Amino acid sequence: MTLFLEQLVNGISLGSLYALFGIGFGLVFATLGVLNVAHGAYASWAAILGYFSVEYFGVPFPVAVGIGVFGGGIIAIAVDQIGFQPLRGRKTGMLGALITSIAFLIILDSLAGMVTNHQSWAFPSSSYPSGMVDLGIIRVPEMQIIIIVSTLICGVGIYALIQKTRIGAAMRAVGWSDEAAALSGVNPRMVILLTAFLAGATSGLAGVLGGAATSNISHMLGEGLLLKGFAAVVVGGFDDVRGTVIAGILLGICEVFVAQYLSTTYRDGFTYVLLLTFLVARPRGLFGSRDFMRA
Amino acid sequence: MKMLETSKRALLSAGYMALALGFAAPAYADPDAGEYRIGMVSDDSGPIASAGQSYHQGADIAIAEINSKGLAGEGVTLVLDVKDSGSDAARAVQAMTQFGSDRNILATTCCILSAIAAAVSPIAMSNELPLVIYGATRASLPQEPYVTSVVALPGPQEVAMSERIAKELKPQKVAYYLAGDNDIFMARAMAMKEVIEKSGAATVAEITTLTADTDFTGPATQGIATGPDLIVVMTTQQPTIGIITALRQRGYEGMIVTSEVLSPPAVFKKSGETISGIPFALSFQPGVSDSEAAVAFIEAYQAQYNALPDVYAAQGYMAIQFIAQGLKSLDGKPTRQDLAKAMWGTTEIAVNPYGGQPMESGQARTPNTLIVNWTKDGEVKLWEKP
Repeated sequence: MTLFLEQLVNGISLGSLYALFGIGFGLVFATLGVLNVAHGAYASWAAILGYFSVEYFGVPFPVAVGIGVFGGGIIAIAVDQIGFQPLRGRKTGMLGALITSIAFLIILDSLAGMVTNHQSWAFPSSSYPSGMVDLGIIRVPEMQIIIIVSTLICGVGIYALIQKTRIGAAMRAVGWSDEAAALSGVNPRMVILLTAFLAGATSGLAGVLGGAATSNISHMLGEGLLLKGFAAVVVGGFDDVRGTVIAGILLGICEVFVAQYLSTTYRDGFTYVLLLTFLVARPRGLFGSRDFMRA
Repeated sequence: MKMLETSKRALLSAGYMALALGFAAPAYADPDAGEYRIGMVSDDSGPIASAGQSYHQGADIAIAEINSKGLAGEGVTLVLDVKDSGSDAARAVQAMTQFGSDRNILATTCCILSAIAAAVSPIAMSNELPLVIYGATRASLPQEPYVTSVVALPGPQEVAMSERIAKELKPQKVAYYLAGDNDIFMARAMAMKEVIEKSGAATVAEITTLTADTDFTGPATQGIATGPDLIVVMTTQQPTIGIITALRQRGYEGMIVTSEVLSPPAVFKKSGETISGIPFALSFQPGVSDSEAAVAFIEAYQAQYNALPDVYAAQGYMAIQFIAQGLKSLDGKPTRQDLAKAMWGTTEIAVNPYGGQPMESGQARTPNTLIVNWTKDGEVKLWEKP
């Protein structure tokens, strides 16, 4: 029973990272209409910025997280304005944006490889919460608790922002039609910048927390999150944060249990089968709107 | 009559001298002075760049030493022509094809991954271009006379370490972490398992991970739950570090045994005390290797890079020394074919930091075995039973 519970927490924690990453991924797709594969690079860069700030400037871990989150958001805005904004004016559609995002993924990954010297680094164990919390039946690493709580806060916060506020209404309006939103008095440019920042920041949070929890900060960190985050968005529904969070966590639990009770060999295969099943049988995902579409 | 005797003796002496000189000629042979280019397919970027850069830097140290000491011959200068494959087979094949077409390239060295080594070997063979494998460990990679390997086949060192661990620690329950997508590491783990099981220890878990994995919370929980008093981690570098870190963070205090992937100083810099006391077997390690060649190599490496070399740097260094030794044995204008034959026939790499590196049919044989561990202070010492 202890083993089951410990693996359950491991799964929830792993899935929370997928969810956190997927929130931003889905947000950009639903609002900006971009299937942005460069999203993975934001996580890598955020983790790298966080690591450097601890290693070279000795900042406390929460500050390093803040730097990573802010850095992820700024990079996302830069990519959007340099890469995607010119395409919006030309109405090149999703394919042009996808190809552009692939180019940015390669550029950002290469640059990240250069600054890390293609090595993998880790936060010094004394710099982040690396202890265990005794919950009676089981002991849980502090970082896992931080990851799970962060995901819940981000999930609830961004859901509330989108569904309950005027800014969220503007984001949904721009996601439907930026021209119509502009006619209604919404400033689409500001909404786009805010959305890009939020997406980059959540991806950055996943990167820094994941990098600390797994002792692996490298230019390839984001690649591992990319497919799983995408799967969380597809299974949960592109335009619903709740779905992404639930699907991400379920995905993490399934991965850990498949590895524990079946075999590691089937673990990634399970993710792909789940992804394919939803794409074929329920493309709008668990919570996605029936009428959701992108231009 | 006396004159005739004297002439006979003189003739005989001259004949013996000529004969002696004839036999001795190869030892004193030198290739024509000039610049000779060696192609290196490196792994300076990509998923195993941390090791790849060490190989490359070791090769650079060898080039500098050979050129300054004339180890490849009087007036001979070696130049390293590097193409980064990023551990991508297609890029490695492309690089080797370019080296094959470039007649200025006299020999090549390549590859950490066995699959890539196997992919580029036919290109070396078809271009009659000597290829020295510096990192890949799969058996049967050498092909006469063009493809040789300075990497000893894995197995004997882990077996020696396992025998010692089993004898001194007498483990009862052992868990194994395996690399499910790496047949070499899997074979090494199985060799260790066989030795440990023979000592009477029970195998309580075989947990498979993948090279690209980064989260080891689940595998660590799984392993600890089986209550092992010894854990063997036989995976590639990043998973090994991740598994050990996850095990220690979850409170596992038993003995862990692993491979030379833990040896680079960068690994200690990353992991610190977490990896102290964990034994691993290898042939070269600063702080432990004390042969004249080893000390010279370590000093040159430190002077150049302000860091200690690891076992991968030593292998890159030796690959170039092996080529230089082959070149030195040739006379006149060396050809790729002559160099390949000379290298294939080599039985010992003269300049090596291992304290001896025998070669047999183009394949390095297992040199001496050092069983070492990191201390908490970041030094490497010979392992002693705790």
